Order: sequence, then C-alpha cells, then structure tokens
Amino acid sequence: MASASLNRRVFLQAGAVTIGGLGHSVAARAADERSLVVAIPSNPSTFDPINQGNHDAMVVNQLIFENLIEIDGEGHRRPMLAKAMPTISADRTEYVFELRDDVTFQNGQPFSAEDVKYSYDYMLDPAHKALRRSVWTNIESVDVLDRYKVRFKLKTPFRPFLDYMTKYMGIFPAGSREKYGNEVFQQKPEGLGTGPGIFVSARSNDVVEFRRNPNYWRKDSMAWDRLRVRIVSEEAARIAALLSKSVHIIGAPPVRDYVRLRQAKAQGITGGSRPALGSLMLMIHNTRKPPFDDPNFRKAVSLATDRKTIAEKIFNGLVEPSAVPAPASAWWYNAKAAEGLAFNLDQAKAYLAKSRYASGAEFELLYSSQGYLLDVGDAALFIQASLARLGIKVKLQPLETGQLIEQVFAGNQTSVLMAVIGPSDPTFIIQGIYTPNQVMTRSSGYSSERLNTLLADSFRVDDEPSLGPILADMQAILAEDSPSTWIGAIHSFNLWRTNVQGFEPNTGITLRLTDVAPIDAR
Amino acid sequence: MWFAGRIASSLGVLIVVSAVLFALTRLTPLSPARIVLGADATAEQIQAFEHDRGLDRSLPAQYSAWVAQLPRSGFGQSYITGRSIDLELLESLPVTVELVVVTFLLTLAGAIPLGLIAALTEDRWPDHLIRMLSLMAVSVPGFWLALILVRIFAVKLGWVPPIGITPLAEGWHAHLASLLLPALSIALYYIGALSRLMRAAVIEVLGQDYVRTAHSLGLSRGLVARYVIKNALPPFVSVAGMSFGYMFGWAIIIELVFNIPGLSRALLTAITQRDYPMIQATVLVVTAMFIVSNLVADLIQRLINPRLRHA
Repeated sequence: MASASLNRRVFLQAGAVTIGGLGHSVAARAADERSLVVAIPSNPSTFDPINQGNHDAMVVNQLIFENLIEIDGEGHRRPMLAKAMPTISADRTEYVFELRDDVTFQNGQPFSAEDVKYSYDYMLDPAHKALRRSVWTNIESVDVLDRYKVRFKLKTPFRPFLDYMTKYMGIFPAGSREKYGNEVFQQKPEGLGTGPGIFVSARSNDVVEFRRNPNYWRKDSMAWDRLRVRIVSEEAARIAALLSKSVHIIGAPPVRDYVRLRQAKAQGITGGSRPALGSLMLMIHNTRKPPFDDPNFRKAVSLATDRKTIAEKIFNGLVEPSAVPAPASAWWYNAKAAEGLAFNLDQAKAYLAKSRYASGAEFELLYSSQGYLLDVGDAALFIQASLARLGIKVKLQPLETGQLIEQVFAGNQTSVLMAVIGPSDPTFIIQGIYTPNQVMTRSSGYSSERLNTLLADSFRVDDEPSLGPILADMQAILAEDSPSTWIGAIHSFNLWRTNVQGFEPNTGITLRLTDVAPIDAR
Repeated sequence: MWFAGRIASSLGVLIVVSAVLFALTRLTPLSPARIVLGADATAEQIQAFEHDRGLDRSLPAQYSAWVAQLPRSGFGQSYITGRSIDLELLESLPVTVELVVVTFLLTLAGAIPLGLIAALTEDRWPDHLIRMLSLMAVSVPGFWLALILVRIFAVKLGWVPPIGITPLAEGWHAHLASLLLPALSIALYYIGALSRLMRAAVIEVLGQDYVRTAHSLGLSRGLVARYVIKNALPPFVSVAGMSFGYMFGWAIIIELVFNIPGLSRALLTAITQRDYPMIQATVLVVTAMFIVSNLVADLIQRLINPRLRHA
C-alpha cells in the first residue's frame, strides 16, 4: 500500500512538473525580446519578387527586396532606393532616377545603377517568364547614365509606371541570377536584397524567418531583430494565436472578430483599418450575355443595390460604399456620377420596365466560397434578396477561388461578385476589366472608344488638376453604361497586440513591418 | 507465403490507387498553369507550360512517364514552389506521423483500460459512466472539439500554444505541449469508439465456457485476466489497426485547426494550387501508411491468435 501511495505521488508530481514545464516554456517564448511574430493566411509559393502574385505573401518579398520608390502607409509615393522622385521628360516617356549611394545588398555588394538595369532587363526578357512582365512591357530600355543614375525610356507615356514600380518588382544584384540560379530566388534568397530582413529559413505552410539586416541603409529604422512570418490559413487559428500572445500582428482577420477585438485593450489587442487604394468590391456583369446585354437592366441592378447597408451591416464599415469605380474618400471620386446610381428602388423598377427583361429575369451570380480578406457570401445573399424585390431571380453559385478565376478570366460567367486588389493607380482596375486585350476584358465583354481614349489621355498626365477631370469623365461613362455594379472600396484591416509599436494597416494590403517592434524590446 | 501474398496485394492496391488518383487529379477543370503563371498569363504561356510538363499528352502517356521517373528522380518537383517533392515529404511526413503515433498511443492508453473497467463493472455505475462518456466522445465533431480545446487550454489558460508544433530543439516539454491538444482532438473519438469495442469483446470472452472452467479450476485472477485479454484483443487489434490509417484522414482537419505543417496541410495546399505531382505523392504516401498499418495489424493478429496462423 505504501508503495502504491508512493507511486501515485510520484506520478502526480511528475504530472505537475510537466504541466509547469509547459507553462514555463510558453512564457519563456513570449518574453523573447525584439522578436516579432506575425501571421498571414497565404503560403508564399516563391520569394522571387518578379514572380510573387499574392498580395498577402508579398510581405516576405518586400522585406528582402526593395524598389526605387515605394507607397507609404497612407498611399503616397516616396523615394526608396532612389534619392528623390524621378525627373520626368516633357513628353513623359523618360524617367531619370538619382539613386542612393549608401545602400549595399545584404551580401555586402554595393548597390548601383547597374543593378537596377540588370534587374529590369532580366525581368523583361520573355525567356525568364516573369509573372508580372506584362505590366512592364511599355519599357523600351533601361540605361545606366552613371554609377548612381538610371534612365527608363518608355514606348508611350504611362503614368501607372511609378505605381507598378512600388509593388510588382524588386532590385537584385547584377549577375546574381547567373551566379545563384532561380531556385535560390524562389526558395532561399539569403543576402540577395537591400531590405531590412535577411532571409534565414522557411518551412512550407509554416513559417518564414528573418533576421535584421545590420547594414540596412535606413539608420533611423528601429525595429525587430528577428521576425517570424507564420502561415496560418485558418482564420480562427489566427485569432487564437493573437489572443494567446503567440503572434503580435495578424493579417486578414475575420470581420466579426475584427469588430469585436479592435478595441479590446483589456485583452491587449487593438486594430485599425484604412481604405485599400486600388481595390474594389464589385459585381462584374458579362455584357455579352443576357440579361446583362441590356444597359437598362444593368442600371436597374445597380440602383437596386443598397451599398450602404452592405457596407455597414455586413462588412461593418470595412467597405466604403461607392457606386462608381473609385473610393468615396479619394480625390478622383465623381460624386455626381455615383449619385445617379445610388440605391433607389423606384428608379430601379423604372429602368427594369424600360429593359428587354421587364417581366423579370434570372441569372447566376458566382462568388468565392473561400473568403480572402473579405468573405462575400453574406453580401451575395443580401443582393439575391434585394433583387428578388424587383422580380429578378438570382441563383447563387459559390466556387472554389481557382475555378472562379478561371471562369471569370474566360468570360464564362454571367455575373460574379468579387473583391479585386491592385496597386494604388486609380485606373488599374478600369483598364484591366473594361478595355481591350487585358487580363479580365472577357469577364465584362465591355468596350467603349471614349473610355479607351480617356485612359490613354490619363497616362499622359500625373498631376491632380489635369488627371482629376479625366478620371471623373471615365467614371461618368462607366456609370452611364454600368458594365458592373460597384459595391465599394475595401479596407485593409488588421488586429495587433497593444505592445506593438510602429504598426499601422497599409493601403496596399500587404503588411508593412520595416519599422515595427514589440514595445518590450525598447 | 501469407506475408508475400499480402505484400503483393498491397502493391497492387498502391498501383491501382496511383492510377485512379492520377486520372482524377487531371479531371479538375482548372489548369495548374493558370495558378503557377498567374492572372496575366496568355494562352500561349499556358500552352507552353503544359507542353513543358507533358500535360498536353494523353493520360496513359503522362502516367507512364510519371511511373518511369519514380526510380530515377523520385516524385519530382512541385509545380508551385519548384522544390523537390521528396524534400517536402521529408519535412512534412514526420510531423504527421508523430501526431498520429501520439494520437494512437493516447487512444490505446485510454481505450483499453476504460473498456476493461466497463466490462468488469458491467451494468454498474462505472460502466454506465464510461459508456455515456464514450458516446459523447464519438458524437462530438473533432473540428469543434479542437476549437473548444484551443479556447480553454491555449487562449484562456495559456498552458499550450494554439498553433503549430514547437520544435524539439526548444525542449521536450514545449514539444509535447504543442502536440497534446491536436492529438487529444483526434484521440477522444477513437477512445470512445475503441473502449466500447473493448468492453463488448471482454464481456463476450468473460461469458465463454473456458473462462468459467478456468475459474472453477481455481486459476489465479491474474492468469484468467491474461486469457481474457488475449482472447478479447483480436477484434480490437483489427479495428485499432484500421483506425491508425483513418487517423491520417482526421489529421487533415486537425492540422488545419492547429496550423500544423504536416502532410495533410501540404495536401490541402497542393489541391488548392492544383500541384499535381504533390497531390499524387502525398495521397500515395497516405495510402501506403494506411496499407502498412493494416498489414501490421494483421501480423499482430496472427501473432496473438494461433488459429489464424494455422488456418
């Protein structure tokens, strides 16, 4: 009996030690100073800046590779590896950049104009099959003027050039592709960028680890020493990780949890949001297919869509309602054009009565069954109910994202509800969907000579007074023809621990982590 | 002879599974080229991608080429990451195997004693309690249970991390802690199911004539218990062996909830990305694990049951 008691005691003691040990080890990790941990939903399939297609996963590329200019958290362009914004020729086909002379790559190699030329020439070579090459084909040549001066010659004026430069590219050392091979860029680009994060290791579907670049050119940047980007695809798991202090910042929190936790200071959590410039939620109608082949029907659908309720009740303010392809808070927003499509059931009925489908119609609305950033399922249901009041029957068709994209790009859909994410350029989405020979042209089947002319005009100017009226006219044309029903501009939103300093949501969706640190680390 | 026959039939199953799987993955409407090359890819780029990887050839030709490359270069490279699939499997397979093994051990540690206690106290309160708990365990959805466990033990109490498996390098305490909740989320179902099976098997054996005879001959309780357990084990071993294989399926859900970078998450990611070679390799490995676990269960059955050896 004594022996039995002893065994039980020993057993219980061992259990207590084990549980204590578990708690201790978790606490020990939490106290790991100057170590920042963030969680994002998408697994980066590559670290190569010329092949990264996922805005969420771009956080890893942007910590390693940098560009000549960048977009700051508020959406303004500012120099990065360039000393200042470029000098642009009068005909807007030549951009000359003065480069910083105090930058070295993480491997110690000095940065110069040769690296810029090499990077762009490599990406532009069709043999290298760069994912985003098509957005750069307007570049005629990249010329080195001296060690720290480089000139981009464009075939035609192309204003979005600078915006694309902030997102779809990264500078790597001259000769590095031949020296290291593409596999290194794809899987372990250690030392190959100028950015604040030196790649340490990565495990697929798990984590990417960085250490601080000790020679980072921005000497005023005080942040983490080590950074772990954890890949957490399940949104409930991301929330649990944040609540349990396992991570400091999470990307793409579920809307309901975001609303619940954004001011949960007692739990050590805070949150924030910002309009994601260049991103829109919309229904893209196929104007070649009935019933959307009738402009009056399209207008009826647009007028019957209560964007305010969708934005406030379904997305809790994380969508900024807008009836035109521009955020309502943007300087280029055409309020008058938007007003003409504002929710008005009587007007919607009048337009429906004028259409070929006055007695009612039926169409299939596709949407992604896997919400990325925002789950549009509830909004689709709301739209179905709204249009039923007009006698329009909507058949909801959720699809896996890959299949949805395939259907939309091929123009097979009748209508699709989706969020489109792009760079901050105000014409990116308009060009991609409503002008000829673009990636999503077939999804709308729409074309307008006037719109094409205005788009070309918009590429020749870059100042607000000149560009504003052109963008306003483009919105007016699109509002009149209504090839899509625009719901609004989506917000970039995040949740983070209150002991994090220097973090704010990025208008470009991708997490900006260069100057972020846990406060405990200071 | 029996063993050789089982090995041969197992290989046959693997070949059939690989062929069916190969055909099924290629029936999906979306080309992997669209995902790999992205939204901007032209029709020519997609054609070139498919040609480079032989995706424009007939299914039998593609399958033959895939089988032929196995001995030379293993499972090949991922379409998406460009990494060697063999390396990907080497990283993710041990994680899942460890999770399933821990789950299985937890299951045995729970199911056998609970089943025995329930059988030995048949129709008394311990039996009723165990049967009620086991019914609850098999009825609760694993996904929901996992979320509840995370909420209590990771978020509220902070005893264990809510996501991932802590590397062994950070200490075995932390490593075991990170495995505990995922393993428990799977194991509870099997503890419930197998304890009921154990109970039924023991009760059946306890009613056999030879047990009564053994008691009447005055054999010690320990010796009788050994006979009872040995004779109750065959159906338990058979189902437990199958369960080990099924646990790999459960791991798909649980690895997602706990963000564990194992085989199942690799498979889900590969399916989403239409990474054909990765899907084939992963499913084939999981199938092989299932077959091996059944084979081992059969071997154990033959060891503990002489009637099978002499059949």
